[in-house]
Amino acid sequence: MKNVFAVALGILTAIGGFLDIGDLVTNAVVGSRFGLALAWVVPVGVLGICLFANMAGRVAAVSGRATFEIIRERLGPRAAAANLGASFFINLMTVTAEIGGVALALQLASDVGPRLWMPVAAFGVWIVIWRVRFSIMENVTGLLGLCLIVFAVAVFLLAPEWSGLTHQAVAPVIPETESAATYWYFAIALFGAAMTPYEVFFFSSGAVEERWTVKDLGTSRLNVLVGFPLGGILSVAIAACAAIVLLPAGIEVTSLSQVVTPVVAAGGKLALAFVIVGILAATFGAALETTLSSGYTLAQFLGWAWGKFRRPAEAARFHVVMMVTLLVGTAVLFTGIDPILVTEYSVVFSAIALPLTYLPILIVANDPGYMGEHVNGAGTNVLASAYLVIILAASLAAIPLMIVTGAGQ
Amino acid sequence: MNASSNTFPDAPRQRGRLLDARLHLLDRQMLDDRGVPVGIVDDLELSADAFGDIATGARSPRVTGLVSGHVVATRILGGQPPPSRLQTIPWRLVAAIGTVVRLRQTDMSFDALWVEHWLRDHVVARIPGGRHAAK
Amino acid sequence: MQLSELLGCTVRDTGSRAVGTVVDVRLSITGDLDDSPSAPTLFGLVVSPRTRSSYLGYERSEANRPMVLAAWLRWRHRGTFLAMWDDIGAVEPPVVRLRPGFHRYSAILRTD
Repeated sequence: MKNVFAVALGILTAIGGFLDIGDLVTNAVVGSRFGLALAWVVPVGVLGICLFANMAGRVAAVSGRATFEIIRERLGPRAAAANLGASFFINLMTVTAEIGGVALALQLASDVGPRLWMPVAAFGVWIVIWRVRFSIMENVTGLLGLCLIVFAVAVFLLAPEWSGLTHQAVAPVIPETESAATYWYFAIALFGAAMTPYEVFFFSSGAVEERWTVKDLGTSRLNVLVGFPLGGILSVAIAACAAIVLLPAGIEVTSLSQVVTPVVAAGGKLALAFVIVGILAATFGAALETTLSSGYTLAQFLGWAWGKFRRPAEAARFHVVMMVTLLVGTAVLFTGIDPILVTEYSVVFSAIALPLTYLPILIVANDPGYMGEHVNGAGTNVLASAYLVIILAASLAAIPLMIVTGAGQ
Repeated sequence: MNASSNTFPDAPRQRGRLLDARLHLLDRQMLDDRGVPVGIVDDLELSADAFGDIATGARSPRVTGLVSGHVVATRILGGQPPPSRLQTIPWRLVAAIGTVVRLRQTDMSFDALWVEHWLRDHVVARIPGGRHAAK
Repeated sequence: MQLSELLGCTVRDTGSRAVGTVVDVRLSITGDLDDSPSAPTLFGLVVSPRTRSSYLGYERSEANRPMVLAAWLRWRHRGTFLAMWDDIGAVEPPVVRLRPGFHRYSAILRTD
């Protein structure tokens, strides 16, 4: 059991990054419209985030510096401020969406409208950040989030035509009903979902919260190698479920209930219970991750005391920023905005934040002043440099594609 | 392309280590003797005997202190906040320089922390559990 | 005077010809960096003829990883040199004047 908990940080980071409410719905949308033709994007994204999260974790363990602190120190205040501006909006939009997501999941469970649940959700997120220890928070959310494995189980229970499914994935073909622009828009959205900057901000800050040192480099690597591939597998499973059940029937995904339809079809009420717990844990975990990230990024840029390892009285600005974020997010939700729509637009800001986040990580991971003897090996550098090119390309293409396709309509 | 293609000769060696201000000191975190963040190194104060025409053989200026107190706007857009908002921390309080700057124990209060202390006293302390460690 | 007033200054030689911009200020510190180092003195100015600033510092270090990035940045900042304190004749921000016969030294920061 203890070993399972050792990788809780990685699992929570991945769940909050890959399987938040926006991604849950996007994966189902992709499956219902493209089948598994976009499945190849997930391993590409997973490899990228594994590479960079491992570097960020290693830097945090060896030097004690979290990623945003490094961005300020090595890129200078202007580039850091640009990143901060973009990241701050991503975080705010995602927090808003996740509180909405928690409310939607609770609605699935209780048939009570989401508006009633929103303040409950926001309060729940706040109280956990205020009082619950970091390790307990990540262990509980991570473990409950594993209930999402029911999607993978559902794929098997649905007894699909395996060769057809694999053919879709391995030899992708854009369906006639879709345009190439939409295909590539969703490809970038999936890639961006795998490599969302707040994942590394959270993971590296979490490494500092957990007081990782050089001795924990193995643990850091294990977290990365378990958490993110698991997130990727579940992403594909959600798309596969939609591909098996929704695509042939031409069902459009407009809400959470379509996302879980395949699971219910596969395993009935029991499966529904698991998936609801999983979705609740995932959205709640994502809300925690993004709220904490909004605190981490601002505090680290401005040099404030931060961290759950400090008593709130010793990190007052850090906690106040997070409280305000939750309040603003909840207020925005009350205007009636669709929380899932909100996450789609955060793609725009991801495009800006992605290169400005990953470049400094690569630079510092090679800096002997921070890393001593633990600098990157040559292989890592080659792969990471290649990924920087991919990231840059995705960033440049994101906004034009978003405009051309109307955010994937 | 590597270091040896730089064609300039090395400067005459001197006692002491060399470091570059912008690369190694500016924008670095300052921690007090207990490891609590107290601000960022925004600038360095130089001894006054530096400027205008410099007499031949004049002594090179010394860094007399670390300057902190930039706000978000000046950090991003450049420029200086009014001198009254800046605080100079004398160099003798510097205990160590690395990826962060560690300060020695001191009674000096750090102006940058007034917002922190105000929020602590008026907001955080008023909410139950604010003073306690997380469970 | 604040050190930041030096950063970004145009550097001119005696003929008032611009030879570059101050991208960094090199300091010399005696004592143990980990144990109350003494107050740094101004060793020289790092001057770049082609660019206005350099945050990453690859042109001044012997590190060359990651390779492609380091090589590109070194090329961008080529010609960066160090002007020592003795060669500085006048400091009148935004201009720094060098003395006649000033020397261009290597900007590489050695770590030994």
